Amino acid sequence: MTTQEDTDLTEDQRDALQEIANIGMGQAGSSIAKIWGEFVSLSVPRIAHVERCAIPAMLTRLVGDGTVNAVRQAFHGQLRGEVVVAFSGGRGDQLAELMGYDDADSVEEQELLLDVANILVGACLGSVAETLTVDIGFSAPSVMGLDIAPSKLIRPDELMTGRALFLEVRFALEKKSFTSHLIILMPCDEVFVLGSALDKFLTSL
Amino acid sequence: MAVSILVVDDSPIARKMLIRSLPPDWDVEITQASNGFEALAAYRAGKVDVMFLDLTMPDMDGYQVLETLRKEDLNCLVIVVSADVQELAQERVKRLGAISFIRKPITSDGLGEVLRQYGIVV
Amino acid sequence: MPDTVPADLLGFIVERIEVGIFAVDRDYRVVLWNRFMATRSQRSAAEVVGRNLFESFPELPRKWLERKIDSVFVLKNYAFTSWEQRPFLFRFHHNRPITGGVDAMRQNCTFLPQKNGNGEVELVCVTVADFTDTAMFQGRLNESIAQLEIEKHGQQVLIEKLENAQNQLMQSEKLAAIGQLAAGVAHEINNPIGFVTSNFGTLKTYAGHLLAIIDAYEGGTASSLEQARHDADLDFLREDLPILIKESQEGLGRVTKIVQDLKDYSRVNDAGRQLADLNAGMESTLNVVWNELKYKAEVVRDLSDIPPVDCIPAQINQVFTNLLINAAQAIPERGKISIRSWLDGDMVCVEVEDTGLGMAEEVRRRIFEPFFTTKPVGKGTGLGLSISYDIVVKKHGGRLEVTSELGKGSCFRICLPREFKGATDPDVRSGL
Repeated sequence: MTTQEDTDLTEDQRDALQEIANIGMGQAGSSIAKIWGEFVSLSVPRIAHVERCAIPAMLTRLVGDGTVNAVRQAFHGQLRGEVVVAFSGGRGDQLAELMGYDDADSVEEQELLLDVANILVGACLGSVAETLTVDIGFSAPSVMGLDIAPSKLIRPDELMTGRALFLEVRFALEKKSFTSHLIILMPCDEVFVLGSALDKFLTSL
Repeated sequence: MAVSILVVDDSPIARKMLIRSLPPDWDVEITQASNGFEALAAYRAGKVDVMFLDLTMPDMDGYQVLETLRKEDLNCLVIVVSADVQELAQERVKRLGAISFIRKPITSDGLGEVLRQYGIVV
Repeated sequence: MPDTVPADLLGFIVERIEVGIFAVDRDYRVVLWNRFMATRSQRSAAEVVGRNLFESFPELPRKWLERKIDSVFVLKNYAFTSWEQRPFLFRFHHNRPITGGVDAMRQNCTFLPQKNGNGEVELVCVTVADFTDTAMFQGRLNESIAQLEIEKHGQQVLIEKLENAQNQLMQSEKLAAIGQLAAGVAHEINNPIGFVTSNFGTLKTYAGHLLAIIDAYEGGTASSLEQARHDADLDFLREDLPILIKESQEGLGRVTKIVQDLKDYSRVNDAGRQLADLNAGMESTLNVVWNELKYKAEVVRDLSDIPPVDCIPAQINQVFTNLLINAAQAIPERGKISIRSWLDGDMVCVEVEDTGLGMAEEVRRRIFEPFFTTKPVGKGTGLGLSISYDIVVKKHGGRLEVTSELGKGSCFRICLPREFKGATDPDVRSGL
């Protein structure tokens, strides 16, 4: 049974991850900008180690009150985990307008959310994987919930126990009031693998 | 004569990465700053010929530093180094007086190229 | 990766796997077309490979698909589509030519970037997987859920109708009860008013006689005075007058009392919840229903000191009325009704016991059921006890129990909590 100290990242590892995630975000932001031609503002990545049962509360704290549309996408390979992409603020039709759908119906809006989430996750995590020279793949994104409170996204009785790494980045489209939160979650046994990859990266500096 | 360099980034890792990519035979005196306030303090102390500036920093970001430098009559070369590589970001920083924009992750070739372009390295 | 796997095995898998696989280059020219794609589209690899995908398949959603493929070339990341948002990319036959149920194959597609040595994407490889079965199960599940929702709604409507009907029945039961009581009370009032009226007639006559005697005193002769005294039967009058007056006053007193009892009983002004003395409630109820009881039973009271109870007195009195009248009706000729009250912990109990016919066990068990009655058709609705049960148990959170022995009599016991534990119900305010 691993203890808190064993599975959490060291301060150096966290700094490294922060910077690597920052670079990954830059990638994701530039991907969106390429597609939409709109300026995206990116927040500084926030990293925390949490007990899994605390994840719903963290989600609410970061994403805020009000409902969101959320997409889930898993990654696997040398690193394993799940990403939650929560869209809040803007209405789906504003996004649809950006993506060139005229008058999207609700199903097309869903497809849009999945595509945007897929782009964000692929760009951000892809860049992290590339920098750390680890190999990861992605499964298809799926709708996690529509118009739902952040605390209700995950069913607490289905959460597995133990600690998890929680990495959050906020993307906002300045012109439309549209915000998305990218939340990368990794179980504690994977964090060890991540830590080793980060160490390797640090020694190469 | 040694060139005074200021490396501004809130991440110590990023600063390390940049310093590592500097041309090895370059005669430099390096100062580091972890936020906009420290950067301006170093600049005002007259210790800066070339500033490598990150954009996303808490408290005072790169854009705000550039604006302040411009108001105080920019007297050093600023090269923006950022993960945020959107074209609009690049345009913005050029308008604010930066001479160049380098995207992260930094490569020593890329950095060397920019420095040569601006005649900074002999 | 594939160094150790023989090329012909890989080739075999790609060609024969039960998943569509094809690949396109930057100009959307097809570079690979596996057997799944060939058989389902009925276009062989020879026909399709080397040609533009959209030329071969003009029915594809060109603008959307080009943009999707482009994003993979540019962003160098996987992309996906799901049958839930986009039922299919290619309109292929499904695998249910007999069993049917769906118009075309449902597909999940993956778009994979194939990179060259420089990290540039040269080809986009697309997999097309058949998700028809999953889609159908999902569809059936959704249908069942929708159906259940409709039924649930229908049941809600029915429940509302039943509740309305029940309320109406309770209302008419109350009105019937009121009617019955009114008849009894009217009788109780009429009796005293009757003899007071008759007494007044006699008093009027007496007054006339007395005035005649006074007239005789004032101006008459000795003989007219004697006549007047004789006519008045003065000796008898002297005796009778006070008796008449006393009787009449008593009668009027009775009327006043019964009106007061009625007011207490119905608590017309306070149909809400309040602290009430159940003994007082029982007394005023007894007075009001006395007409129904007096020929049938001797009433014996054994009431102890009980604390007030937080309840709706109008409703509790309705229950007492119900029990007392039932007790009287259970007694064939003449018997005894015993009333007891006591405190048991935090419950106040009141009991009505009769020496009537009693009930068999099968009857006792069902006695609180709505519409259950032992009376012949036309006499009573059988709702009285079920309403009493509803009042005591549901509306006040108390207990209503009955013990009985055939041939000996029955005993109904109400226990109410001192503090209100009933349902808070809009019906509560209706009182009597």
